[in-house]
Amino acid sequence: MMKCWRVHLCMAVIIAALVPAVMLAQQAPVKSYTPPKTPWGDPDLQGMWPSTDMLGVPLQRPDNLGERAFLTDEEYAQREAQAQRTAAADREDFVKPDAKAGINPPSHWAERGRPQRQASLIVDPPNGKMPPLTAEAQRREEARAAASKTRGPHDSWEDHPFYDRCISRGILGSIIPHIYNNGVQIIQQPGYVAVRYEMIHETRIIPLDGRPHAGSSIRSYMGDARGHWEGNTLVVETTNFLGDRNGIGVNGVGTPYSASLRVIERLTRMDSTTLNYEATIDDPKTWTRPWKIFMPLKSDPDYQLLEYACHEGNYALADILSGARAAEKADEEAAKKQSK
Amino acid sequence: MRAVVRVLAVGLFLMQTNSWAHHAFAAEYDQSKPVRLEGKVTMMEWINPHSWIHMDVVGPDGKVVSWMIEGGSPNIIVRRGFTKKSLEPGTEIIVEGYLAKNGQAKANGGIITFKDGRKLFVGGSNPDNPENQQKK
Repeated sequence: MMKCWRVHLCMAVIIAALVPAVMLAQQAPVKSYTPPKTPWGDPDLQGMWPSTDMLGVPLQRPDNLGERAFLTDEEYAQREAQAQRTAAADREDFVKPDAKAGINPPSHWAERGRPQRQASLIVDPPNGKMPPLTAEAQRREEARAAASKTRGPHDSWEDHPFYDRCISRGILGSIIPHIYNNGVQIIQQPGYVAVRYEMIHETRIIPLDGRPHAGSSIRSYMGDARGHWEGNTLVVETTNFLGDRNGIGVNGVGTPYSASLRVIERLTRMDSTTLNYEATIDDPKTWTRPWKIFMPLKSDPDYQLLEYACHEGNYALADILSGARAAEKADEEAAKKQSK
Repeated sequence: MRAVVRVLAVGLFLMQTNSWAHHAFAAEYDQSKPVRLEGKVTMMEWINPHSWIHMDVVGPDGKVVSWMIEGGSPNIIVRRGFTKKSLEPGTEIIVEGYLAKNGQAKANGGIITFKDGRKLFVGGSNPDNPENQQKK
């Protein structure tokens, strides 16, 4: 155990570590803020709330941070210094003489985010990682892995994620920050809240009138959402998902959840520019316990939610599949030559 | 002016393959086939998920080949200040990237510069970048 050679320094470290964790654990506002109201009296959450600022925060906490929910001052200073170096590089007019093109998209495609102290988007369990899979989910994953061994990675479009195929990223995949196009817009009218996601241009219409969920045979990628107000917090419960498709991660990639998934989202305005977003993920057929994601979303009134007509130019999927067929043909021809 | 197509058989350097854009680029392009293209822009397709720059390149045999270069999502390049006027037809550009695996005249746009070496895309969307703060 680390020896604290100065008691007061040790206490300061403990307090510094605990205070943000407590702040994060309490989702109720820690300071008094009364959000504006809509003309019909609901808390007004309307506006542009892109998740871009949180881009550098990983979904799952790196091992070296353990149960620390926040970075130290030193770690945070390193992130800030890196951001400044990136900004300086962005301002360069000329490519460096020794620059080499990579196969991945170049850096200029990406948003930069802002350095954050939060150590992971997952805030519960306290280690910031997804809980273990259930035995049933492990069997599903093993079956999936076994099936993938019998085929190539690009045999069919069905071997590609639902995002590649311009279908859907699911409700969490639509808000977990990606390198670009993280626009989220909230629009309200009496009895409804609508949430628009820039990519892949989906809109959730959330009724607030207490009606029951759709019947269990009605299933969709974005699920069936019902909302209500708890004080100034919008609480949204979403069920009726299509299971065994998307996961919960960037772009909806990850261990697919089951049709039993139930997501509870809580949205609370903390001040004029901050909307706390919290999502509890409860899928007893996939994870051994519910888990939670947290992001403070920042208002960006200048953000334009531009159309993302995903399938219009999705040449890449055809290129990948035809590229794989070309490689197979080349292999066959090489084998024929060898056998001659 | 002599336009050049050079498919470099050497110079393979492995980058980490991932799927952080709309799809895994290493599945679409061949890491063993770097390419350098010099030519004139004929059109830019402002389409999602990714834009495409069309350019005519004169090959060593004198024939003109129309190439397509994969670019960023229109949404993000607009946010970086790129407009429909940023890359007019006729503009001469140099592209360094990798050939498509399917053998078509397509490449990723790893590095794209104007003839004088200036970067096609400059600025970055970092909110702490003073240029972006001015834009707002």
